[in-house]
Amino acid sequence: MSFIHAQNITKTFNGKNNGASTMAIAEMSLTIREKEFISIIGPSGCGKSTFLLMVAGLEKPTTGDLAIEGKPINGPDHQRAIVFQEFLLFPWKTVKGNIEFGPRLNRIKKQAYESQSRDLIRLVGLEGFENRFPHELSGGMKQRVAIARALANKPKVLLMDEPFGALDALTRESMQIELQKIWQKAQCTVLFVTHSITEAVFLADRVVVMSNRPGYVKKTLAIDLERPRTRKMFTSERFRHYEHQLKESIWEEEETGSWEINPVEEKRSA
Amino acid sequence: MNRTFRKWMSPLLLLVCWEVVTRAGWIDSWFLPAPSLVFQTLYEMVVSGEVPYHTAMSMGRAATGYIAAAVIGIGLGLLIAWSVIIEDFCDPLIELIRPLSSFALVPILFLWFGVGNTSKIIIIFKSCFFPILLNTISGIKGVDKKLIMAARSLGANGQQLWIRVLIPSALPMIITGLRISTAMAMMSLVGVEMLSSDSGLGFLVIDAQRTFDTKRVFAGIIVLSALGFSVDRAARLIQTKLLSWHTETSLGGK
Repeated sequence: MSFIHAQNITKTFNGKNNGASTMAIAEMSLTIREKEFISIIGPSGCGKSTFLLMVAGLEKPTTGDLAIEGKPINGPDHQRAIVFQEFLLFPWKTVKGNIEFGPRLNRIKKQAYESQSRDLIRLVGLEGFENRFPHELSGGMKQRVAIARALANKPKVLLMDEPFGALDALTRESMQIELQKIWQKAQCTVLFVTHSITEAVFLADRVVVMSNRPGYVKKTLAIDLERPRTRKMFTSERFRHYEHQLKESIWEEEETGSWEINPVEEKRSA
Repeated sequence: MNRTFRKWMSPLLLLVCWEVVTRAGWIDSWFLPAPSLVFQTLYEMVVSGEVPYHTAMSMGRAATGYIAAAVIGIGLGLLIAWSVIIEDFCDPLIELIRPLSSFALVPILFLWFGVGNTSKIIIIFKSCFFPILLNTISGIKGVDKKLIMAARSLGANGQQLWIRVLIPSALPMIITGLRISTAMAMMSLVGVEMLSSDSGLGFLVIDAQRTFDTKRVFAGIIVLSALGFSVDRAARLIQTKLLSWHTETSLGGK
């Protein structure tokens, strides 16, 4: 049964001062199963982040239907947590304070959220840093806090917008492996936007390729690799085959002249 | 030679030169009294209760104007940042009054309220109000839109967003405004007390000048300088304490 269902959604942004409006998403349809890990890749500006914000309820589709468990999405909900590339922690709160932000808003009992935040700190490997402030942490640690903060509300859906895009290559790889562990423990559906084909294949049950703007789903590719996935798989033939297939479908667009920025970004993040 | 010592050098050197120049008789003592004489006069004025009295009068005025400016400035700033309608209503007035020198209002305030404390406090209020107001507005408006999105997706409603995210995020800016205004308060205080007053440190200095008593003029200036310095130090200390979470670099360092 479908868990998140997008049917012919479009999103148009009106230009400022009566300027030309831009269509970010055109006739996008996508069905996501519960507890599925979905990676979304596509060129810059193809609307993949916009799609994520719509699932979060922070943006509304201009037309079309977007529903979760059969109910239309109207506004944000603590069941759908989002993690951004820029971490966006609350700088005046400690690691613990950041993680407990959601449960405290939602009036969870103190005992419950305190034991939960201890578990989460252990899960993301931040023991001993509970009382540090964000500016005392490295990029990788900040993103762990952001992930723990998102998980503290026990979300059904975890939305991640290029979460590892600002990290160095080595940190990024270890975060990918950790995210897999975290996802298996947390038992939630993940929508993971990335520019890296390798990262998309490594993490996902299914990779969604979006077209150039205005974006729509151009291809979905099921990744049939056993879990837990390991670093060794990067060099396996099957892994390379998936990467190749995805590159093909992206390059199609380049040949028609519309893929401009992304090959450069792909090299940087791969 | 450590840094603390180096920082004491220039004031000490100034005092020594000053003392030498006046002792040597190169400059008339009436024109520039020796620092030793000035400090002796200052000591006498402190002991006689003159300096404490005028300091208390001055600080009372400055604090009243400043606190009123802080409360109304932050309050109105939050309202303006919250509502475009309020912003559009207030903005033209703000832009017209803000660039106006506080002292341009002195004649009309003296006419309306007389030369007493009310006029003086209004002048101090006017000098302190705008830095606080504008810093509050831009502090709130400058909060990262994505930080707001993150908070909303964590379940924050409108009220929680203001109390738990927007105001704490804007706090460094608001406190900067408050700190700028302490200096504004001290400056406009002296000016307004010199125009018309029978008490306060500004009065003390201008009164000494009228009787050509330069020792007392310098003594008054030293008290004002020390007071301004202490107020700013205290403000900076409070800022650092309140914003211990803020990265050191953005506090401007020590």
